[in-house]
Amino acid sequence: MGRGRLGRIAAVAANTYRETVRARVFYNLLIFAVLMTLSGLLLARLSIRQQDKILKDLGLACMEWFGTAIAIFMGVGLVSKELERRSLYPLLAKPLGRDEFYLGKFLGLGTTLLVNVSVMTLGLMVTLWLTGSQPGLSLLKAAYPIYLGLLLTVSLALLLSTLSSSPIAALVTLCLVVAGRFSDVIRNMQEVAPGMPTWFVQALYWALPNFLNFDFKDAVTYGDPVPLAALGWVTGYAAVYVGVVLAAGMTLFKSRELV
Amino acid sequence: MSAPSSPGSPEAALQIVGLHKSFPVGFLGWKRRTVLRDLSLCVRRNEVLGYLGPNGSGKTTTLKILMGLLFPDRGSLSILGFPLSAVEWRHRVGFLPEHPYFYDYLTPAEYLDYVGRLFRLPAPLRRQRALELLQLVGLTRSAHTPLRRFSKGMLQRLGLAQALINDPEIVFLDEPMSGLDPIGRHLVRGIILGLKQRGKTVFFSTHILSDAETLCDRVALLRRGELLKVGRLDEILGIEVEHMEVMATGMGAEVLAGAPAGVREIRAIGERWCFETEERVLGAVVRWVEAAGGRILSVYPVRQSLEEYFFKEMAASDDAAAAWGAED
Repeated sequence: MGRGRLGRIAAVAANTYRETVRARVFYNLLIFAVLMTLSGLLLARLSIRQQDKILKDLGLACMEWFGTAIAIFMGVGLVSKELERRSLYPLLAKPLGRDEFYLGKFLGLGTTLLVNVSVMTLGLMVTLWLTGSQPGLSLLKAAYPIYLGLLLTVSLALLLSTLSSSPIAALVTLCLVVAGRFSDVIRNMQEVAPGMPTWFVQALYWALPNFLNFDFKDAVTYGDPVPLAALGWVTGYAAVYVGVVLAAGMTLFKSRELV
Repeated sequence: MSAPSSPGSPEAALQIVGLHKSFPVGFLGWKRRTVLRDLSLCVRRNEVLGYLGPNGSGKTTTLKILMGLLFPDRGSLSILGFPLSAVEWRHRVGFLPEHPYFYDYLTPAEYLDYVGRLFRLPAPLRRQRALELLQLVGLTRSAHTPLRRFSKGMLQRLGLAQALINDPEIVFLDEPMSGLDPIGRHLVRGIILGLKQRGKTVFFSTHILSDAETLCDRVALLRRGELLKVGRLDEILGIEVEHMEVMATGMGAEVLAGAPAGVREIRAIGERWCFETEERVLGAVVRWVEAAGGRILSVYPVRQSLEEYFFKEMAASDDAAAAWGAED
């Protein structure tokens, strides 16, 4: 990829990041801070070990929920809003490829989510430290896969928003995220419905994004080991899945007529 | 009528040959509606060409195809000698879309900086260009005002500024006067003429015919997706004077009955009278006004306007148009 392409992608990404900042996306961090403070105060009566687990559990869950909400609702608007308002018309007449625009949008929201997850991780560490726990760097082993899952969610939201309207895209993305959290149920579907063809169940299991792969919350909360190999595997899974979804989205977007 | 430049000639800034575009209609999209039909057009370098036609004639569709927003069914297009699929020409053109919308969370200075980055302009040059362009379009005082507070006319001016950020060789403007007040229109006219003086090529679409009359070296007339005529406006409309309009004052209504033969119509405009007169009796009309104690304020030759031309052409082609619809 030439410097020109990288520069244009970076310009779109920077502008997308600025858009999310000015849309006050980071206000969710205030809600997170209030939740952490209140939890710290309310859980003060419990033993430090119990308090530590609940805080980690709550903090990581918030990180995932808030991030998913941002990924879906900002993600579906990234391209579709530009299409509705026609704000991308003057841009695409410039030496900016549609694929560069699409990738820049993805990376821009990816940066926003990175900042969001990083600040929340830091906030959780500070809360744990203030309540007398040892935060440790193990939290990163849960936060990093959460971030990868959020990138996958953004790529899905982007793809779906190039196919349909924003509300439908948001709904379908949400359904995919929820379905992806029940991958095991899908794999074991034949126990409930024995008539279901095996190839169909297998195809569904492998086609749907498996968001369980990104869930290391329990392991980190209860102090179980998280091997680096597991993180490496999940990184590879995210890279391939996000890559395929982005490529599909870019292909669709490039072939779309902007009436 | 001026001869068009030959395809691929070095003086051609834009060459369109046999452009055809249709859109699917209906739920299943099996039928197609033709929007542009075998359109061929050449725009020379350093020319201001007005692309004229009533609403729905295919002006915006042509511009969208040129900018890569829509894809043609068939036809060959080249800009500055490059085929449409090439990227090179995109560094050398500017485009103002119809009813432009820009990010309302940005200021004009930020937006121009953003589009300058897409051309990989260095930061100092981006700042300098932004300042110059904002001054050119009269937005210097609003350089740091969020675009959500901008009026339609101000957005239009910013649209023109962003189209010029790369100092383009050819500028495509879709209805550049749309939404502008008289001052804004005067300003945009000045900018277009300035571009022409600097050796740039301007291709602009409009349905406001007075703009075309003021600015264009040549015009291309589009009707229902078909190119009707290309050439200088006076060649297309004809130079013959249809009639004269004599404006006079200081005459009482009682003398009007004695108007010379050849005065077709008399209209009262406040205290003044307007006489629509055949050219051959102009002298007699002037003498009659003076004899009746009146004073001549002005004498205008009236030629066929573009509106009249379009109206006639449309009326003449109603049958053909109906046949089109049936075919499409």
